Formats: sequence, C-alpha cells, structure tokens
Amino acid sequence: MNRLESMLLELKDTSEFMVDLAYSSLLYNNAEIAEEVVFMYGAVGELSSKIQDTIMEIGAEKPEDIGRIVVAVKLQTSIKAIAEAARSIADVVIRGLGEHPVLAMSIRESETTITLAKVSEGSSLAGKRFGDLRLSTNCGMFVIAIKRDRTYVFGPGRDTGIEAGDILIAKGPVEGASYFRDLADGTESL
Amino acid sequence: MSDQEDRASLDHIDMSVREILTEMKDTSEVMVDLAYASLMYNSEDMAVKVRELETKMDELKFAIRFKALMSSRTRSDARQLSGLLQVASSADCISDAAGDIVELLEVSPEKRPFISDLLYESDEKIRATRVSESSDMVGHTIGNLAVEACTGCRIIALKNRQGWIYDPEGDVKIRAGDDVIVRGTEDGYGRLIEFATGARPWEFPDDPEDGDEPPSVEEEAASINPEEEGE
Repeated sequence: MNRLESMLLELKDTSEFMVDLAYSSLLYNNAEIAEEVVFMYGAVGELSSKIQDTIMEIGAEKPEDIGRIVVAVKLQTSIKAIAEAARSIADVVIRGLGEHPVLAMSIRESETTITLAKVSEGSSLAGKRFGDLRLSTNCGMFVIAIKRDRTYVFGPGRDTGIEAGDILIAKGPVEGASYFRDLADGTESL
Repeated sequence: MSDQEDRASLDHIDMSVREILTEMKDTSEVMVDLAYASLMYNSEDMAVKVRELETKMDELKFAIRFKALMSSRTRSDARQLSGLLQVASSADCISDAAGDIVELLEVSPEKRPFISDLLYESDEKIRATRVSESSDMVGHTIGNLAVEACTGCRIIALKNRQGWIYDPEGDVKIRAGDDVIVRGTEDGYGRLIEFATGARPWEFPDDPEDGDEPPSVEEEAASINPEEEGE
C-alpha cells in the first residue's frame, strides 16, 4: 500500500476504535476515557489534513488518477464523520449529561457489549502478552483499554503485557463476556 | 404535526426509549460492516440493505426524539434526555456515514481497487468462507454455536439456498454449502475456517445460563472512576 492508502487505513482503524472508546466512556460515565476520544479526534483532524495534502499532490502530478482521488476524498469524509460521531458521544460524558440510566442499559443490552475485569494474581492472563493470548479468537472479547494504577493504556497492541491488578475494558458478544471475566479472576484458564 | 409524522412515531410506539437506543447502536454498527463488505465484494444487494437500514434508522431517530420529548417534565429530565438524544443522533450520523460509503459502489471497481487492499489490511477484517458438509456447524443455529464468542468473528451476512440474509439473527440455522461473510480478526478467521471446513471439531460454549451474572455497571464503574467528592 502506498502512503495515501496507509493513511486512510489508519484513519479508518482510529475512527472505529474511537467509537468503541466513546461507548465505554458512556457506559461507565468516565470522563478520562471521554477525554481520550476528544484527544484522538484532534489526531484524526491532523491526519485528515495530511491526507488532503497528499490528494492535492496526486491531483497535480497525475490528473488521470481522478477516480482514485474522488474515492479517497469520499471515503475520508465518511470515515471522519464516524470519528466525529464518536467525539459527540464522548462530549455527552464530558458535559456531565451521561447519567441517564437508559444509556448504560442500552450499551449493555447491545449485540456488542462492553465489560471490564480485574486481573487477579492467579489469572492465566497475568504476565502474558496480548499477542500470545489471542483473547479475541478464544472468547470474542477485544480489549480496548487497560487501567493500570492511575493511568490508562488505550488500544493495547500484541506486545502489550498484562499484569496482575490491571483492569481490562473489553468489547464483544455477551456470551464471551462471562468467560472473559472468569479468565481475569482466575476461575477459568486458557 | 402532519399525519405522516404521527404515523412514523406510532410505528415504533411499542418499543421503549431503551430498546430504540439499543437498536440504533446495533444497527449503526452492522451498517458500517455491511457498507465496507459491499465494497469488498462489489455487492449491490448489500448496498440496498444498507440503504434500507438507513431508512429504518431515520424512523428510529424520529421515534426516540418523540418519546424523549414526551417524557420530559422537569429541568433535570431535559438535561438527561438531551444527553440521550445526542447519543441517538451520533448513532444516526454513523449510519449516514455507512450510507455514504456504499455510494462508492457507483465508482467502477477499476477506479477503487485500493479500497479492497485497504479493507484487507484493516484491524477489523471482513472475510468470507463456505461451510462444508463435514463441519460441526451444520445443523446448528448461529446463537447456539455462539459463533462470535468462539471465534471472534461475527457473521454479518449469510447466503443459503433461499438467498442472502444480512445481519442474521441468532436463530438462523447453518447448513452445508452456506456462504458466510464475517467481520473479525485474522486469527479468528483462521479459527473459523478450521471449524467451517470441518478440520476442527466445534467447541460448544458452556450453557450461557451457567454464566455468572455480570457485575452491575455501577460496581464496574466504581472500580475505574475516581471517587466522587460528595455532591
């Protein structure tokens, strides 16, 4: 993939991750997570400007690539609208308007739910890296953030390690959520 | 209010605000998956489904506004409900974005080859596979198998002898020869293929009824939120 496509890919992945984080912030009425969404929206803005510059360069150098240019512009606009929607969900939390109990219930009852779990000393997750655990493959749950002491790790990668005491926030199907919590507290092991 | 608008609100009068919001969240998410899948597989049918869902979202949005405004009595109601309506409207924006993405189908595939590459590399992958006769999945429903919990792949579309089913419900039964389009990680797709080809026996999840009751949202929130200073 060339530079334009790589940037669009990053934009897409970021926007989808922002939506997950935004719903998490809403579920727990958590302003710290909501602030991260707003921060990421800033990054999305910068990335969008870079994409725009690149599109202009391509347009100047290869006007025959007009089809590709139109597609890139349109795709970028749609993806950015998704990031904007995520920011607007986070905004509800930041403004202190996320208290309505129906908000949390509707996220909990969704097909894709969100849950959190604290990793116990005896958990088979403790001391492992995400890449080795393949949590998503084993229980459908995808960890979107970790709270360790007072700080967060957002969007852990394959090399991110899990430590006892970590609080994992994950999204996935309801059927996977209970097994995920059992893994974290050590009742089940992989 | 015109009669037409009144009917639009009555359409969903049996659903509570909570049910509408849940439905809007679910629908907006599946629309994005289907929109990207339509570009990947150059499927006009999927695009049609996305547009149908977009219309449904518009109705849900109207119904939730109507119901929220009807139930607002006090300043505090208005505050809380305004937050709720902003979330509903954000879900609607996501569905509109999905609607815009399917418009790219009008650009000829030669002009948008990079989209498939891009979607192929994305964190959330869209892939397709066929269920073979020897697969353990055959004869079971999607819900029974808990496909997403066991593989991390969610079935977003399924083609059987009757045709395509988009965003199939849990009660849809898998049959030999069905084609499924899924959204998930590369790893999970690898696992799904093993199940679908029959190379690996399906590992049925424990009875979901056995599952522990999830902790309440308040309990969970208390473990990550800073303690509130008395209000």
